[in-house]
Formats: sequence, structure tokens, C-alpha cells
Amino acid sequence: MIEVLLVEDDAPTRWRLQDALGATGECAVTAVATVTEARTHLCEAVPRVLLTDLQLPDGHGLDLIRETRQRHPETEIMVISILGDEESVIAAIRQGATGYLLKDAFPTDIAATVRDLVAGHSPISASIARFIVRRTQVQPAAAPAPQGLNTARLTPREIDILWGIAKGFSYADIAGHLGLSRQTVPGHIKNIYRKLEVNTRGEAVFEALQQGLIRL
Amino acid sequence: MSTAAAEPESRQAAPVGAPRLALRLLLYLALQALVVVGCLGLAALPTPEPPPRWQLTEAWLEPPGAAVSLPHHHSARFTMADPPRYGLAFDRPAGLPEEPWSVLLPRFTNGVAVAVNGVEILDSRRNPAANRPDRSSPEIAVIPSSLLREGRNELTVRLFVWGPLTGFLDRIHVGPDAMLRPAHDQRVLLFVTLPIVLAAWQSILAVILGMMWLMRRHEPEYGALAASMALGVAQTFISAPSGQSLYAGLNAVLIASAPLESAFAVVFLVLFLGLRLPRAAALLFLPGLIITVTGLLGGPGPVRILYLLLGPFTVMFCLVLAAVLIALVFLRRRDTITLVLGSAVTVVLFFWAFDILSILDVASDRRIFFSRISYSAMVIAVGIGLTWRFARALNQVDSFAGSMVTLVREAEDKLRASLARDEERARAIALSSERSRLMRDLHDGLGGQLVSIVALSERQQAAPIGEAARAALKDLRLVIDAMDDIGGDLMLALGAWRERIAAQLRAHSIALAWRVLTPQGLPVHRELRPGHVIQILRLLDEAVTNAVKHAGAGTITVEIETVAATDGDRGRISVRDDGRGFDAEAGSAAPPLAGRGLANMRQRAERCGGQLAIVSGPEGTRVTLDLPSRFADLDAPRV
Repeated sequence: MIEVLLVEDDAPTRWRLQDALGATGECAVTAVATVTEARTHLCEAVPRVLLTDLQLPDGHGLDLIRETRQRHPETEIMVISILGDEESVIAAIRQGATGYLLKDAFPTDIAATVRDLVAGHSPISASIARFIVRRTQVQPAAAPAPQGLNTARLTPREIDILWGIAKGFSYADIAGHLGLSRQTVPGHIKNIYRKLEVNTRGEAVFEALQQGLIRL
Repeated sequence: MSTAAAEPESRQAAPVGAPRLALRLLLYLALQALVVVGCLGLAALPTPEPPPRWQLTEAWLEPPGAAVSLPHHHSARFTMADPPRYGLAFDRPAGLPEEPWSVLLPRFTNGVAVAVNGVEILDSRRNPAANRPDRSSPEIAVIPSSLLREGRNELTVRLFVWGPLTGFLDRIHVGPDAMLRPAHDQRVLLFVTLPIVLAAWQSILAVILGMMWLMRRHEPEYGALAASMALGVAQTFISAPSGQSLYAGLNAVLIASAPLESAFAVVFLVLFLGLRLPRAAALLFLPGLIITVTGLLGGPGPVRILYLLLGPFTVMFCLVLAAVLIALVFLRRRDTITLVLGSAVTVVLFFWAFDILSILDVASDRRIFFSRISYSAMVIAVGIGLTWRFARALNQVDSFAGSMVTLVREAEDKLRASLARDEERARAIALSSERSRLMRDLHDGLGGQLVSIVALSERQQAAPIGEAARAALKDLRLVIDAMDDIGGDLMLALGAWRERIAAQLRAHSIALAWRVLTPQGLPVHRELRPGHVIQILRLLDEAVTNAVKHAGAGTITVEIETVAATDGDRGRISVRDDGRGFDAEAGSAAPPLAGRGLANMRQRAERCGGQLAIVSGPEGTRVTLDLPSRFADLDAPRV
């Protein structure tokens, strides 16, 4: 069983996600609506997967992501996003998330995404990949990058993979183009997420504030 | 000449040991000795002489009434009142063909009056060139045939001397004009015409250098050399004066300008070699100025005397000074220009010494002066060298200017490109921030509510509501996605679209086959704007939705490729299903929704400037969108 902590304040959405995850029988889901509840739960048990919304009534999901990432490195973190837009997803990735989930995704897709994440396969969307590779194109002289996204550590191969995804190529196509095994592509994506993560709390808050990603 | 000075300066930096210095000095002196030997050879060359048969050397000088042999040095410096008379005799053999005879006087100082059988046929004082003691002008006069007797004839030469030199009369030739004239002409060419030619050159260079100095005041060496040359020119063209007017005095001053000239030349040399010009250098001009003042106040006579006292030695001093300076500079720098200059100064120095010895009746019995010619030649050489160097500098400036122009043009292009880039970037930033704002607003409001509707409708089994809400969410994502700056690469928009329709098709258990047929997918269009992207994506959405709703397809295939067209590469996107198909042409058989959907799709394609082709048959429907080679401006009024 995969223990999942779901943090979502909108009740219908929470029920929906809970149902979708529970339906396959693979996940044991704990659903909470606030950051405080989530913190309390995290003190008691360490989930395998944390699914969290960003805008929560008593705090910001990014704080929860960062805390969990620091205290429980083994926990896989996914952000729940309405639009799958880069701003929220990238901000979450920078705090330690390694995936995202669309709130209106079809139930089978929701379960599959969590399963894949536990198996080490981080999902990435074309628009997220596009956002990251476009940051790599900004000349080094113009650093720090507009969104405070440090892409300097990405290898050329990783950037090639991101380009492929951004342009809608399948993993198989990308693997074929780059001479990789199809199975290694998702691992590369997780590496990419890890490289985009900010390392210290201070740095993260400062950058997030600067970029307007956190509204205080 | 700062550049010229700077370069050897660096060479100078290397310390040179005393033995090496001595060796270098020895080499320099040896070279100058070689130059002197060469000059000796030149000086020893015979001057043009007529055949010796017509030469007269025996004369009777009165006063004092004694036989002398020519060439003869007369010790007097002034004989204008009572010139000494040289009586000579020559024979005109009988039976010679009737041809004119002439008297040739190759060299004399200062003037002669020649009479044949008591009748005067020549007075050199009327020839200004001949009156210049510094020029070795010859004189020739045809003897009127009526004067000429067969057998013995008498020739009388009166020698006028007016200083500054003592009197001198070279051998006299009397004979057929045809025999004598070639030697005369050669001497005129050598000693009269050549100095004038050189002076003409000098005048041109003086003007050029003067202009250069005027335009480049920070290089006074040009001015000094121009002054030196101008004086030399004046000295050449001024005629010898007679009488005691101010004009005569001025003339005398100009003829005696050699000390000033040499002082200017030394100043030029010092500046040219990049040395510091000491204040004491002004003293060099003192003798010249004294002569000038004397000339203006006292007239020609005193000038000549003073010139004789001061002139040659001032010039000599200047020349020696120049030679020493050059030698010292050469020891430090060892460059070719200094060496050439040094050799030139040695040449002038040699001839100047040679001429002084000749004046003092020590060296030569011919009293032919070379220093003026050698000096003019040297100054011209220097002037040519300078002008050449200046022209070369101009060329460098030209090429520098040329490269500057290229650089400026490149910089301009870069600037223009960067401005365009900045503009593009500013536009992208504005778009991106607007998109962010919109996204946040939608995220916080509409998006969340739609998600809630989806969730609620699923829970209460109200599928149509959920579907509508989901469609609204999808469209929301489409709008936001289309606003992203994709840099004209439609593939980036299609990448996100693929994800959306893949999820949609998965829910309907329809397989999606995504095929990119050309490696780069679609061509990049810089003019592609969010408006175009929305039109294209909605068109494709509609094609997919039609296939999902009406075709009953098992697989939808999306093919992306670039096709070559006459007006460049065009992109082509086609959506194909393996469903039932419909008849696009005949309205009657068309399913109710298709008509409206197809019209919409056509309109969208048209707005982008693309072409839509729909083929439907029993084996499925194929919608092919041919993108334009250039996207139409959506804001422009549509025709």
C-alpha cells in the first residue's frame, strides 16, 4: 500500500482525488484540508507520497513541501494544480516537489500518476518542460534568471530531453533521437527536478519572495 | 614623429655593454669612412673638359707684369677699381675651314671681361648666374669672325674680384666652337641647371612640408625643415647684387643664408630623432642672424666679409654637431633611418670640408664647389623620405578609418539587432506578466470553481455538467497556453496540446498516434502570435472533438510535417481518424454538428492565412491544415 497524505481545502476536489486514489486499492489516503492538519499528521506518520494544493486556508502549500522535503527526504511530493501552469508547478519543484497533478485529471490518470511517481517516474508536462528550457536559453550574463530558476546545472542531454518533451515527442521518440533507453527518460526527468530544487531555506524564501511566487 | 621615436625607445631598453658599444661605434665609423672614400672618388672625377689642344695656360699678368700659368690664384679680394689683366696669345692656323671660334672660361671668380685683339667680346658680370662665386658657372663667347686673324691673336682677360673669395682664373680654351661647346654645356648642366632643378624640388617640398607643419603644429620638425628648404630655394634663385641698395643687402643676406639654413637643419634633425631640443640651440641661429642684420644695415660688402668669417665655420659646426648627434642616436637605437641620415650628413660634411679647403687654395686647383649640390640632394632625400613616411601614415589612417567604419557599421548592426531583440523581449515580458496575472486570477477564481463543478458532477452522476466544466477548463488552459512566448515555434504549442488531447482521448479509450514526419517538425515563424496559436489549436481541437463525437474512431492520428512549396517551407498538420466518415460536400448526408464545426474550422484556417482540406470517406476522415509561409497579421483590417 502506498500511504498518501492529501492536502486540499476544496471539499469536492478532495473527495474526488481521494476516490480516484482509493479506487484502485493501491493507496491508503489520508485527506486533510489545512496546513496545520497536515503538519499534525506528518508528526505522527511519514507518508510515502504527499499531494498538496498550494493555496490553503491557513498557509501556503510551498511551506509544507519544503518542510516535508527537509524532514522526510524519502517522501515523494506532488503539487496539485488547477491549470498545470508553470508558476505553481515550478515553484513547487524548486521547493522539492517531483511531480504535479491536475485537479480535473481523469481518475485513472490520477492513480497512474501517483503509481509512476513511487516507481521513480516523475511526470512532466510540455509546458513545464518548455518553461525550463526557455530559461536555459537566457544568456548567462543576464543571470539571475528571470524566475530565479537555476538551470545552470542541467546537462546538454537533459536540456535535449526537455526540448523533446516541450515539442510533444514521446519518451520513445526522445530516447530514439538521443540514443537512450526508453526506460531511462523518466529517471532523467526526476534528476532535472532535483537539480532545479533550491538548496537552503533562506535562499528559497528569498528567491520566492523576489520572484513574487510567495505572497505574504 | 612620436611613433618613430617610440619604437626604437623600446629597443634601447636592453642594456648594451661597453665593448659592444665600442664595436658598434667602430662599425658606424667604418661605414662613414667608406662613405668618405666614395665621396673622394666622386670629387676626383674629371670635370668636363674640351680637348687639351685648345687649352691656353701661359699668360702675362699685369700688374705686376709677370708671366703666370693658368689656373692662377690671384691673392686680391677686391679688384673692381683696377682689375688685373691676363694677356694670352693663341694661333689660328691657316687653312682651317670657316667655322666659328669661341673662348671658353670654365671657371673664374668673380667676374671676367674678355677681349680679343683689343675688342671686348664678353663681360660675365652681366650674367647673374656667373656672378655667384658659389656656383661654378662657366662662360663661353663666340669670337666674331671679323676679329679673328689668321695666325697669332691676342686675348685679354680682366679679372674682377669683389669678395668674399680671392680671385681665380682657370685654364682658358680658345678654339672651334663645336669643340668647346659640349664641355661648356655639360658644365652648365652640372653647375647651373642642376642646382636650379634641385632648388625647384626643394621649393615644392618646402611648400608641402610647410603645409604639413601648418596643419600639424605639434610636429615642428616639419616647419624647421620647410624653413631650411625655403632658405635654400631663395639662396639659389636670388641673383648676385651689385651696388649698395637695401635690396642688394637683402640679396647678399639670402646668398649668405647657409648658416641659418644649417641651423634649421640641425633643429629638424634633433626633433626628428626624438631628442629634446635644448634652449642653447637658439645660439646656432646667432651667426646667421648677425650676418642678416649686418646685411640689412651695411649692404653686400660687409656681409661678404662677415660671411667669410662666420659662415663656413657655422655650417661646419652644425654639420659636425649633426654628425655627432646622429652617431650617438645610432649607438643607442641602431636603426636604418639614423644610419642613412648619418651617411648623408657625412657626404655633406665631406664636400663642405672639400670646398673650404678649395677656397683656402689647399686642396683643389679647380675651385669647383660641390657642397651646395650635395646639400640640396640630401635635403631633398630627407624631404622625400618624410613625405613618403607621411603618406604611409595617411594610408594607415585610411585603413584605420576603413576598419573603424566597418567596426562602427558592425556595432550599429549589433545595436539595431539588440534593439530589436530588446523590443521583442519587452513584448515577451509584457505578454508573460499579463499571462501570469491572468493565470493567477483564473487559478484563484474560475479555475477552482470549474474543478469543483467537475468533482461535484462526478459525485452526483451529472456527467453532462462535468463534461461542460471540463471543456471549460480545457479551454482555459488553451487560452493561457497560447499566450506563452513560444518564439514562433508552433511545435512548442503542439506539445502541450498533445497532452491535453491525449488525456481526453484516454478517457474515451481512443488511441492517439502522434507522428512527426520531418525531423524539425514545423518551420519556425517569427511572426507567429498568440492569436494565431489559439486559432490553430482550436481548429485542431475541433477536428479531434468531431472525430471523438461522430466518427466512432479507434485511433486518431496526428501528423506533423514540413513540405517544400514555391514560396518557402510550409508546415502541414493533419488529423486523421479511422471512423465512419461523412460527406463533406453534400450537405444532406452531413451529421448535424459537422456543418457548423467545419465552417468554424475553415474560418479559423482562413484567419491565419492557412488552407484547410477535409477528406472524408468510408475509411475515415482526414483534416489537413496547410499553414501559410507567413502568418497574416491578425490585427490588420481584413480585406
